[in-house]
Amino acid sequence: MISEHDSIPEQLTTTASNGRLTRRAFLERSIALGIGSGAALTLLNACGSSPTTDLTYWNLFTGGDGVRMVQMQKDFTKSHPNINFEADTLTWGDPYYTKLAMASAGGRPPDVGISHLSRVPAFAASNMLDPFDLNELAKYDISEDKFLPSLWQKAQYNGKLYAIPLDTHPFVMYYNIDVCQKAGLLGPDGKLKPLDGTAAVMDALKKAQAVTGNLGLALDTRDVQPWRLFYTLYNQLGGQILSSDGRTLVIDEGKAEQALSFMRDLTITNKVASSTMDYGGAVATFGSGKAGFHWNGDWELPTFQGQNLHFDMLPIPNFFGQTYYAQADSHSFVLPHQATVDPTRRAASLEFISFMLKDSLVWAGGGHVPAYLPVATGNDYKNMSPQSHYASVASNVVFDPVAWFSGSGSELENQAGQAFQTVLVGQFTPQQAIAQFSAALQKLLKIPPPL
Amino acid sequence: MSDLSIQEQAPRAAAQTRQQSRTSRWRTDLTGLGFVLPFLILYALFLIWPVILGLRMSFFNWSLGKGELEFLGLANYQELFSDPAFSSSLVNTLYFTVLSTPVLIILAFLLAWLVNRAIPAQWLFRAIFFAPFVLSVSVVVLIWSWLYEPGFGLINGTLTAIGLKEVNWLTDTHVAMLAVVLLTAWWTVGFNFVLYLAGMQQIPSELYEAASIDGAGTMAQTRWITIPQLGRISTLILILQVIASLQVFGQIYLLTSGGPNFSTRPMIQYIYQSGFTSFRVGFASAISFVFFILILIISIGQFLLVSRQRRDA
Amino acid sequence: MSTHSVGLQGRTQTRAADPRLKRNIVKGVTLVVLIILALLWLMPILWALDTSLKPESETTLIPVTWFSSHFTFQSYVTTLATSNMLRWYFNSILTSAIITAATVLVSSLAAFSFSRIPFRGRNVLFWIILAGIMIPGQILIVPLFTEMQSLGLVDTYWSIILPQIASPVMMFVFKQFFDGIPRELEESALMDGASRLRVYWQIWMPLSGPAIAAVAIFTFVFSWNNFILPFIMLTGNNMMTIPVGLATVQTSFGIHYAQIMASAVLGGVPVLIVFLFFQRQIVQGIAGTGLKG
Repeated sequence: MISEHDSIPEQLTTTASNGRLTRRAFLERSIALGIGSGAALTLLNACGSSPTTDLTYWNLFTGGDGVRMVQMQKDFTKSHPNINFEADTLTWGDPYYTKLAMASAGGRPPDVGISHLSRVPAFAASNMLDPFDLNELAKYDISEDKFLPSLWQKAQYNGKLYAIPLDTHPFVMYYNIDVCQKAGLLGPDGKLKPLDGTAAVMDALKKAQAVTGNLGLALDTRDVQPWRLFYTLYNQLGGQILSSDGRTLVIDEGKAEQALSFMRDLTITNKVASSTMDYGGAVATFGSGKAGFHWNGDWELPTFQGQNLHFDMLPIPNFFGQTYYAQADSHSFVLPHQATVDPTRRAASLEFISFMLKDSLVWAGGGHVPAYLPVATGNDYKNMSPQSHYASVASNVVFDPVAWFSGSGSELENQAGQAFQTVLVGQFTPQQAIAQFSAALQKLLKIPPPL
Repeated sequence: MSDLSIQEQAPRAAAQTRQQSRTSRWRTDLTGLGFVLPFLILYALFLIWPVILGLRMSFFNWSLGKGELEFLGLANYQELFSDPAFSSSLVNTLYFTVLSTPVLIILAFLLAWLVNRAIPAQWLFRAIFFAPFVLSVSVVVLIWSWLYEPGFGLINGTLTAIGLKEVNWLTDTHVAMLAVVLLTAWWTVGFNFVLYLAGMQQIPSELYEAASIDGAGTMAQTRWITIPQLGRISTLILILQVIASLQVFGQIYLLTSGGPNFSTRPMIQYIYQSGFTSFRVGFASAISFVFFILILIISIGQFLLVSRQRRDA
Repeated sequence: MSTHSVGLQGRTQTRAADPRLKRNIVKGVTLVVLIILALLWLMPILWALDTSLKPESETTLIPVTWFSSHFTFQSYVTTLATSNMLRWYFNSILTSAIITAATVLVSSLAAFSFSRIPFRGRNVLFWIILAGIMIPGQILIVPLFTEMQSLGLVDTYWSIILPQIASPVMMFVFKQFFDGIPRELEESALMDGASRLRVYWQIWMPLSGPAIAAVAIFTFVFSWNNFILPFIMLTGNNMMTIPVGLATVQTSFGIHYAQIMASAVLGGVPVLIVFLFFQRQIVQGIAGTGLKG
């Protein structure tokens, strides 16, 4: 007997448990009442009228953001007791992508996986991902209008959608507030005065260096960081690396040299940054206040917060006064290709992705910019500091060139890192470095693509 | 029994026996083959067939996700012979083999020699030196990455405590391979060690007694009795050790990922990365095949060299 | 007796005390050296154990120290709660047991046939199989994966069991052993009408204890620790064996050395304990197989 005193959700669950409502009718009724289908499913699952479904999920978040992913996973399992959820974290980079590829190629991959958007084309072209069904997605509040157009475009391959973006993580600038204040770089609002142009940037770095007595800029000159910096500068100059079909090298040597010359000015000419610093060293140097500025991806936010550093974050400067770009990549959810698809598991996968997107405020705590617009444009996120200070970058990001050998942690990034490192350590001139990088790319382009 | 005469009986009896032996011949053949069949099937399916399949794949652009793509002829082979990554992986592999083989043989011999003379608790020493061998590579690398850790790792911590400088075991290109060899020595010397120990214990004591009566001391006895007596085992150990070292993968992949800067990347890892990380299983098969031939040449060469030595000795 | 062999000892008759003293010194030095080496050999495992029992904050102290004021099992609790270690143990035990049993059975059957059944083509077949020893296993990983892909066996137990059963070396070990068993035993049984299968099962196998033990131990240890094959074939967390699980799945975020050492200890110490109990048989098995192979 349902009385007027029962709340609507209670009414629904009571009726459903009584077996008087079919699942479909339940959903229709709850949608009519304004409850989202996701929440309705949650209610339905919560009253135990559906059997348990298995769901496996892989990610590569071994850094500080891994803790937030675990939190979101916990939020999911708490609200979905009917889903037997298993998450595995594999080592970031090649080990993760190799395992994902082999699992997909073997036919028994996880239901849902994380992939950088830059890696999606190669995986999709190799039959390792299943496309999303847009109609199904709509039932879970996932549609084109809920994401930035650039991200939604990037997630397409051959006219089909293969990824759902979770975040964007651009190359950003961290600065030490105390150091910059002493260096006279702050405006009346206590924020960094805009740095327009390479001269202004170099000037600011020098002033910061005078204050710290050590370095102006903490920059990782090994691994992949030189690539991220170069790619930002080069794109700001309007340069391109590969043709749109990914088959021809179209490097503009003049612009590339200009970008590399600026990088050399940092470590060799003006010595505001160390030429032999590695990733850990750069983070440690900035975190201990021994450098005024730090250029890196946004994910070290929690690290510096944990050290109680007085810092802020901004988009990387517009160095050349032209169209603004920042290098970035984006973590997205993908459906690894299954030999046979279990419909209930597929539905659970979409449910999971939808939940994660809606919960991505937690994720933003790790520094990443949420891709789901309802969260990104909401007040909760807008009030997050310093996250909201650089969130505007998301509409001006540039991803790695599209090619099967490209993407986060790929061979292209390795070759770039190695070539550009030579400039930062003063071993080669910009021309030599470009020649080395171009040669490496030409070799990769000649290889018949395994797609 | 019949009315036939003996002359007539004998040929018929002989024919009957021949008939019987022909059927029992077939029965023997079938039984013999039947016993071998399970082994033969598994052998053909999972040892021989992959070799043939690999050879075929090496002539194609074969994709991890999409399978067989276009025919390439010898293009994969041409590419690998001019590929600096191939030659550097080969050099790394040979470097590892040349460094580790003498260590693993001489150290094993020394340990066996020492343990053979330890009368109290010989079993304890034998167990201690062999024990790491039963650990899996993952456990060993977890422990040794921790040992090699800069700053607060045990090795660097001990070095700094006695006033020496730290060593960048895993990040210095000149040291990384040495770090791998040290780990490998600790982990696998036990295998050669027990072979040597068993061999030493089989040497008849009369040989030693006779020699000491002649006045030969411990060193001389070792030089002139122990070592020659272990000749066959040493040959075996050498050949096995070289073949195993050439195929090194696990400890390098897990300890350094082939770095720093690919300076430790062995051939098997290059094959793994070409095939599974870059999706180019056709190219990886070509590398595998060339490497297979190389290992074959080295093994046969070793074998011939050693047999010639033994024959001349 | 050559003259030079007397040289080291000189006049042995008049200095009878010296050789014994010298021998004792050599023994003493040997023992000391052995003890030092043994301690060095134990160091890595002891240090891992020590680290795993410390609270996380004390693992990164400089100068490094063995002592801690708060030894705790917390890392083990966390590791067991967050990792799939028990399932990995199950997978390792199951697959290694099946591989071992199958290898003993299949190899001994084949070896029995080669040793005792005079069928036509026996020699040719034997040499073909023995030639397989020349094929180094690691170079087959790529085509083997492709083969398992087409069989639909990737990420199943079969993908690692099947390739590890037919070992020419193990078959050879059995054959050597069988060749040494006197012929009279089976001849009388055969004349009594026993089938060859019965002879194999009821006469030969019971006699072959040492060979079975050697092959079984060798196969079990090597399949348990096999890394590259399961690493390639097993992609799902619930299918992985211990070596693969430890190398692939991350359960601690950021840097947690005590936990990492706890997982290493959990992955290795049970095997060490089994080894300690059966070390005589294990060493004999490995040495025996090695010497024959």
